[in-house]
Amino acid sequence: MLKVQSLRKVYDGHGRQVEALRDITFSVNAGEFVCVVGPSGCGKTTILRLLAGLISPTSGEVGVEGRTVSGPPDGLAMVFQEYGRSLFPWLRVAANVELPLKAKGMAKPERAELVRESLAAVGLADAATAYPWQLSGGMQQRVAIARAIAFQPRVLLMDEPFAAVDAQTRADLEDLVRSVWQRFGMTLLFVTHDIDESVYLAERVIILSSSPTVVLEDLAVDLPAQRDQLETRSDARFVELRHHVYAQVQAAKNQSAAKTVG
Amino acid sequence: MNVLRRILFIVALPATAFVILWFFSADIRDELLPRQKRFFLPSLPKILEVFPDTWLLQRHTPAGDLPSRLTHDVVPSLIRLGEGYGLALLIGVALGVAIGSSRPLRALLEPVLEFLRAIPPVALVPVLFLLAGIGDTTKILVIISGCIWPILLNTVEGVRGVDPTLADTCRSYRVGGLLRLRTFILRSASPQIVTGARQALSIGIILMVISELKASSEGLGHTIQEFTEGFQYPQMWAGVLLLGLIGIVLSLLFRLVERRVLVWYHGQRVAERASS
Repeated sequence: MLKVQSLRKVYDGHGRQVEALRDITFSVNAGEFVCVVGPSGCGKTTILRLLAGLISPTSGEVGVEGRTVSGPPDGLAMVFQEYGRSLFPWLRVAANVELPLKAKGMAKPERAELVRESLAAVGLADAATAYPWQLSGGMQQRVAIARAIAFQPRVLLMDEPFAAVDAQTRADLEDLVRSVWQRFGMTLLFVTHDIDESVYLAERVIILSSSPTVVLEDLAVDLPAQRDQLETRSDARFVELRHHVYAQVQAAKNQSAAKTVG
Repeated sequence: MNVLRRILFIVALPATAFVILWFFSADIRDELLPRQKRFFLPSLPKILEVFPDTWLLQRHTPAGDLPSRLTHDVVPSLIRLGEGYGLALLIGVALGVAIGSSRPLRALLEPVLEFLRAIPPVALVPVLFLLAGIGDTTKILVIISGCIWPILLNTVEGVRGVDPTLADTCRSYRVGGLLRLRTFILRSASPQIVTGARQALSIGIILMVISELKASSEGLGHTIQEFTEGFQYPQMWAGVLLLGLIGIVLSLLFRLVERRVLVWYHGQRVAERASS
């Protein structure tokens, strides 16, 4: 479904070259929920932007549904980290969700139905006529998720979507994303720097090193499908996995620190 | 309560000035000016006395009845202002969007635009008479030539300043073409476009008057000049008063439209201030 092959990305700016990704290879099967975790600044967002066709790789290949990505692929939606800036402040909530459907050329009654359903799915049926800036951060990110659901994507990319919300809201949103994924069955690639979050959410966790970035480990999460904030997080297996991922990320950080010193 | 206070604030200064002028303008004038100059500055009661006859009512002359100057002069002036201003908005925004979205176009046109912008529209009047002839077209062109710059330059800035995350959102959801122009580019630049349009409005009123000073047979500016040349100073001042009133009404109308167009912008700013 998603295929990333020996991906390398070098940013070229102001006479300075920054190697964001050195050599990344992984794939995601159809309907899978995969988290990409790594220290901040390791190029996680770059991977998503490459998959979304917003930028092109320096070398290597990115494929979505068997086709090489050269522009935004069909049936792929993205939820951005900056929820406050990915919603159109001059459009009300319903119009924000509806916009991509208009671009698809969908008929009006069909659009209205999808908008209603998607807003209900994220628990925002009452907020349809509000402007985004009248809502809290967590609610704004729900709108962004509703917009992605309404688009009916086969692939959903999420870029640290909960980095800027408080802990309680974050837990709610994590459960929301799990339930959305289970209900709609799309392929979901979720980027985060939060190790707990990655293990709690995903079926598989891809651990990245510090920059220059490579894949450190591709780890299957063998937790039951039904997750619960209290029980799952105190499950012995969860603690074990979390511990393992934490150690990996920590080792990667130390290694790069040693390299810088040396 | 709040509304009352706001109305009070708006009206307080003009009302006070009006009352003071009404009671004292004649006396002060008599104190300060030598007799032969008083003629140029009639008192406010005198100006108001001639106002309705001069501008609003049908005129009876030995040669027959003439329509009021409101319909004969003021309305045509305002129609030309509307046409010129409207065209300036249309052309300014269209060009601004094109220039703002294309870096090469910007590099190519910016020096030329700076050059053209520095030419006072008044200086163009004789040239425009030669090119477009004597008539409404020239007057409208004069208004456009002045109004277009603040609109164009502000639109360019607005379009350049669109949020990159929103641009990415449009790309990844495949919002393109006219839909993108309408719901993203224009809306996103609307605060700057409105700023430019507001500046253009006051320029437009000035140019409406100036465009009628030469080779004209009707219009508010033309009539005011006629009174000046005919030593009819109370009538002339009544015209100046009318011009000021038109300015106030137009700016109030503008504010009404702005409030509708920029509801989201002002709301968002209030929300941001409240949260920080």
